Amino acid sequence: MVATITNPLRVGLRHERVIAPQCLVIFGASGDLTHRKLVPALFELFKQRRLPSEFAVLGCARRPWSDEEFRGKMAEAMAEKIKEDPSSWEQFAVKLFYEPVDLQKPEDVVRLGGRLEQVDQQCATHGNRTFYLSVSPKFYASGCRALADAGLLKDPKRSRVVIEKPFGRDYGSAQALNRVVQTCGQENQIFRIDHYLGKETVQNIMVLRFANTIFEPIWNRNYISSVQITTSETVGVEERAGYYETSGALRDMVQNHLTQMLAITAMEPPGRFDPEAIRNEKAKVLQAARLADELEPWNCCIRGQYGPGGSKESPLAGYRQEPGVDPNSTTETYVAMKLFIDNWRWQGVPFYVRTGKRLAKRLSEVVLTFREAPVHLFDAATGGPTANQLILRIQPDEGAEFRFEVKSPGSGMRSRPIDMEFSYDESFGEPSDEGYVRLLADAMLGDPTLFTRSDEVEAAWRLYTPLLELIEDSPWQLPIHPYESRTWGPAAADALLARDGLLWRRP
Amino acid sequence: MSPQLTLQTPLELAPSEVPTYLEQLWSTEQQGNTGSGANTFCLLIWQPTWAEQQLVRSGRLQGPITGQQTDELIAAGRQAVSDANLPHSTPPLSDDVSSAVSRFEGDHNAEDLRGQYIDPALSALMPRRLITLAPTIDAGHSLETLVAAYCPLPEEGGGTTACGDVVVLRGDDTALQDGMGILEPLLPPSMPAWVWWNGSLDESPKLMERLTRSPRRLIIDTSVGDPHHCLELLRSRVEAGQAVNDLNWLRLRSWRETLAMVFDPPERRDALSHVTQMDIDVEGHHPAQGLLLAAWIADRLSWELVGSEAIENGIAARFNRPDGTEVGFRLMSVPVGQPSVHAGQMVGLRLISQPENGQGVCVILCAESGGCMRLEAGGMASMELHEDVVPVQHASPEMDVARLLGGGHDSTTPLLAAAAPLAARLLT
Repeated sequence: MVATITNPLRVGLRHERVIAPQCLVIFGASGDLTHRKLVPALFELFKQRRLPSEFAVLGCARRPWSDEEFRGKMAEAMAEKIKEDPSSWEQFAVKLFYEPVDLQKPEDVVRLGGRLEQVDQQCATHGNRTFYLSVSPKFYASGCRALADAGLLKDPKRSRVVIEKPFGRDYGSAQALNRVVQTCGQENQIFRIDHYLGKETVQNIMVLRFANTIFEPIWNRNYISSVQITTSETVGVEERAGYYETSGALRDMVQNHLTQMLAITAMEPPGRFDPEAIRNEKAKVLQAARLADELEPWNCCIRGQYGPGGSKESPLAGYRQEPGVDPNSTTETYVAMKLFIDNWRWQGVPFYVRTGKRLAKRLSEVVLTFREAPVHLFDAATGGPTANQLILRIQPDEGAEFRFEVKSPGSGMRSRPIDMEFSYDESFGEPSDEGYVRLLADAMLGDPTLFTRSDEVEAAWRLYTPLLELIEDSPWQLPIHPYESRTWGPAAADALLARDGLLWRRP
Repeated sequence: MSPQLTLQTPLELAPSEVPTYLEQLWSTEQQGNTGSGANTFCLLIWQPTWAEQQLVRSGRLQGPITGQQTDELIAAGRQAVSDANLPHSTPPLSDDVSSAVSRFEGDHNAEDLRGQYIDPALSALMPRRLITLAPTIDAGHSLETLVAAYCPLPEEGGGTTACGDVVVLRGDDTALQDGMGILEPLLPPSMPAWVWWNGSLDESPKLMERLTRSPRRLIIDTSVGDPHHCLELLRSRVEAGQAVNDLNWLRLRSWRETLAMVFDPPERRDALSHVTQMDIDVEGHHPAQGLLLAAWIADRLSWELVGSEAIENGIAARFNRPDGTEVGFRLMSVPVGQPSVHAGQMVGLRLISQPENGQGVCVILCAESGGCMRLEAGGMASMELHEDVVPVQHASPEMDVARLLGGGHDSTTPLLAAAAPLAARLLT
């Protein structure tokens, strides 16, 4: 969203919850995420006066940095942001500390305990700690165990662990990881982060559905004919080839972000706005979801991989030509699939989900297409009447639009579609917080509403198990369809919808 | 959910025995019976409820006396306004009503349960100690001291064991003054202490001074008492650095939010730099709330107060905008047939903006409970008009207090801290 002059009457009216004094411990503090997302998010919270004065950040990684070196590295990476408000950075930077820690070495973790006590005394953080595991997924289990063994998780009210995606590689590994993590602490201490849930527009789906009486009565199979969920990127794999080659679009995007969007779109209304009530409903709807054809998944799933594209002047390399990618790679950079949700609300309504890299536009949206009017009384200017659509734009141009038929001006009675728009920019005119700002604050507040619970994660993996097994066992049955960079993906994905007489929305 | 009574029948003790009794109540040996004492906060409530006491005495309201703002109490207050020939816009529980009812005959007695009802909104916060000072209307009422343990009832399963206690000091003014001695040991410095002055800010100034010393956090209602005194008290406490919370300010939240919403769309923001006139209508003759809203707007838009004066039925003032242009301000009292329980609640707000080369903009916010005919009149037809209805807040005082306590702030909210001194200046 575009930042504009602040509304002076809006200042101070946000009702923010109060974060208790605490120390945020970041493991993997020398990594990208720390200086790209986490510390900037914390700095933003600091500038918004949402952090208590008794607060500290302890960066931990294997590099032998000092506090000063850590502060210097962060300042270097955030130079642009700091330039806007150097005095705030000065006040914030003194809250940054660093301790060299290798989570695999028990003696390091014990030493960390000592350092944390020092920080507690220095910053009056009362022993409240949030541990953020921004490390390679293979260290999640051992990292949690090391913290638990050192006694750092024993007080469930004063210690929390935040875990980044991916949480497991499949159903089995997610179950195993959950088992380990749950032996280290209680479920309410574990915060599995999915930054899509931090997006204002994703949260707005819940408000739209459950704060308005006009949507919920028609939010079901009686009125909705299909749902499309799209998350498309224009960028390629960039520097993430090493990770992406072992992951692919299904694990990188579908199992987590798109599935969370699906859950929020399709869940039943919770009895109250309470973390467990909401997560119960999300877990239930994911447990009711299935691939449209589980026995022959190739009928309901298309995999693709971007090939070269662009123009002569600025050519774009294909995935297999990207640095670090196997020239014969069969990793998918595009997935489209059809799902069903077997419950009273959604029985028979297809959910089409797609995501890909190097597509024509960067966007994320949920499109609900409503059933056609039972009788067509009017000629339609565009040939046939257009079905009503509610489009929830997650990013960019955050907002929503509702497409419906109106009378086309003139003496006849022809109808044509128009769009009724709601835009965050036009209505609020202020940028919403970055997802990590919201989620870090929630984790430190101990509010798990926007974090995924173990049963949700497992249900999401179980949903895609037939596909993952097929890719593992007989990948030729789920072939990789090449597509030209900066197009809307392989033609086979269009055919998937064409079989149902539908088209992907061209946003 | 109805308010909860205390867990056990309150025990009447001699005042001097209270601190020792409570100490023993929470000693390790006793905790098996009552759960552990919550390590949260103490809340001291000054709860005269004069109108309720007088209405019960005169037989116009069934007892017991609880200190809660029930529908029956408000209805009886409204009836008394009519029977006593008070102006229709008199708030039904105001001092005017209690003083008029005190002249009615009657000598009905009812049980006095003040301090023994605990609103669920408050009990959910698990206060460690609730102390209620309950002055009685009958002079000569000697000091009674009641004590009880109390555990919040969990909403469902997995109950809490963090409990608190309630202490009630009941008696006439002299008796309560005498009882002050036991309060200090009952408010341990290790725990935040809030004092809710749930009565007129004009009464018992010495007692108030003694009870509400910093660092105790003060909760007042500037709609109760003489407006000058209310705003002056608010200003002085804010400027002294005490954490002050004003329920009258809190009730303005929907006005602040609605007005901010009008100017959220970026294309409307320019109008805020060109305001030339601000008008506010309030119920009856208590301008405190209207002035707090005006002061908030003036502070947020960086207007400088040039001068103010009393006019017939209101207040007029002039501000200077940052660009030097003058902004006119008028606050008018309007009579209402069915006044709110709280005096001087907002009825309407009008902001007129006149850009030099653009179309004028008129914003009118109107309370859903009343009409804004006065603000809607006056030749704004040529302007771009934005009208909105501001919902009436139906929160009980206890819910508002719980909201404040839940925030846990140990300082005055910066918006109120900035608005309070300006509001006081507008009235002088």
